[in-house]
Amino acid sequence: MDLAIKNNSKKRTPLYGIHLKLGARIIDFAGWLMPVQYESIIMEHETVRKNAGVFDISHMGEFLLEGEDIIDFLQYLMTNDLNLLEIGKSQYSVMCYENGTVVDDIIYYMENKNKFRMVVNASNIDNDFQWLNEHISDYNVKISNISKNRCHLAFQGPKSDKLLDPLVDTDLSQLKRFYFTNCNLNEVPLFIARTGYTGENGFEISFEAQHAELVWNALLNTGASPIGLGARDTLRLESSYSLYGHEISDSITPIEANLSWVVKKKEGIDFIGKQVLLNQKEYGPLRILVGLNLLDRGIIRENYKLFKDGENIGYVTSGGYSPTLKKTIGLALVRTDLSSIGTELEIEIRGKLLKTIVVSTPFYRSV
Amino acid sequence: MDFKVPTDRKYTNSHEWVRLENEKAVMGITDYAQYQLSDVVYVELPKIGEVFEKGSMIGEIESVKAVDEFNMPLSGEIVELNDQLHNNPELVNSSPYDEGWFLKIKINNPSELDTFLTANQYQELIQREENQ
Repeated sequence: MDLAIKNNSKKRTPLYGIHLKLGARIIDFAGWLMPVQYESIIMEHETVRKNAGVFDISHMGEFLLEGEDIIDFLQYLMTNDLNLLEIGKSQYSVMCYENGTVVDDIIYYMENKNKFRMVVNASNIDNDFQWLNEHISDYNVKISNISKNRCHLAFQGPKSDKLLDPLVDTDLSQLKRFYFTNCNLNEVPLFIARTGYTGENGFEISFEAQHAELVWNALLNTGASPIGLGARDTLRLESSYSLYGHEISDSITPIEANLSWVVKKKEGIDFIGKQVLLNQKEYGPLRILVGLNLLDRGIIRENYKLFKDGENIGYVTSGGYSPTLKKTIGLALVRTDLSSIGTELEIEIRGKLLKTIVVSTPFYRSV
Repeated sequence: MDFKVPTDRKYTNSHEWVRLENEKAVMGITDYAQYQLSDVVYVELPKIGEVFEKGSMIGEIESVKAVDEFNMPLSGEIVELNDQLHNNPELVNSSPYDEGWFLKIKINNPSELDTFLTANQYQELIQREENQ
């Protein structure tokens, strides 16, 4: 099927050739040719939950910020509060439009007050870069888009510490969650953060693209398996992490997406969307994100409509099969008065109305 | 890619296979079909006793990434279902021609068997689809 791809304008990560050699099935994700699975989505998912897996996430964007005013600049653009950030630590946030809807969700890392690293979604690299630059005005900040020069890998699973620690010249057991460090693997400088998108313990690693094969092979040699985007999606869905374009977007606010914790009061600090968002936080949004299970047999999928007493009261933002729970799960935006856990709703699946129920999230938590 | 196409059975244009067992027809989906679907998580089968015309949509296969319908390959009555698929839908991926069979039909119009593709013809069909 990948042989049929004729469009040469699609982007490839430095590891594309390796993925083909490993027998990966390739799909187009945000204009990138990415491995969706190597063997089986379910097997790869289980490997991450039980052992360790390596993901090529080099399609994601990376920016470098330098200058004296980074903190003030980001305080204006981000909903989260940088006063909670420390040197050596990362922070997850969204940046919003004036109407409170989301430009993108982002993680930034404070190397020092004058140097930050930022990782953004593949689908939003150009948009985010433009957005940031449009708002620089008098802030003393320089933003560089270094995406093309970087390779990003995620190393996730309960065994990830045990497998990765011997390879690097730093003691990873000292690295706490959300913190990052610079270290070396066979003399290749790595930027490693204890962060992830799978709900398991693990790391996200960024380094110069020229070392892609060396680092990838070193990680696979530990016994970890290559994992595709298919399992990446089932893993993040079980953990109820948002995916831009689904749970958050330019028509959904973080409050609606149940990410209220990412929007801080920030007294005395203005940020784009502040008024709308704090208002929504105080009075509650009209619709909100919930977790769903099905009471009948079937699979919940994105965009399926939800009904109560014949009225369309919401829709599914992401859905699928949970390999860990062995049943279907979904996230959906529903009218707030129908969002309590245990509320029974109806979901339209190929013309039939099936019974669905609101459940708590995340669907899965690692022990 | 090489897909298995056993010669002991016949095939449809919609990637189902049919094998005669006494007077019944056993049906399932092909290796090529299971590969396209990837991890199967749920198979919705019709009920025993239901009667369908050839070509009617009789069930659905849900995989992690997609859902697909499958059709009645021959007119007749559903007389047996593969109960294993309920708890082990992954058999469709691991053993599409053997343990992953779907159902058995008591056929009422044997001349319909003439319209099927042979293993060779089905191989050609797959080649054409792969080259698109």
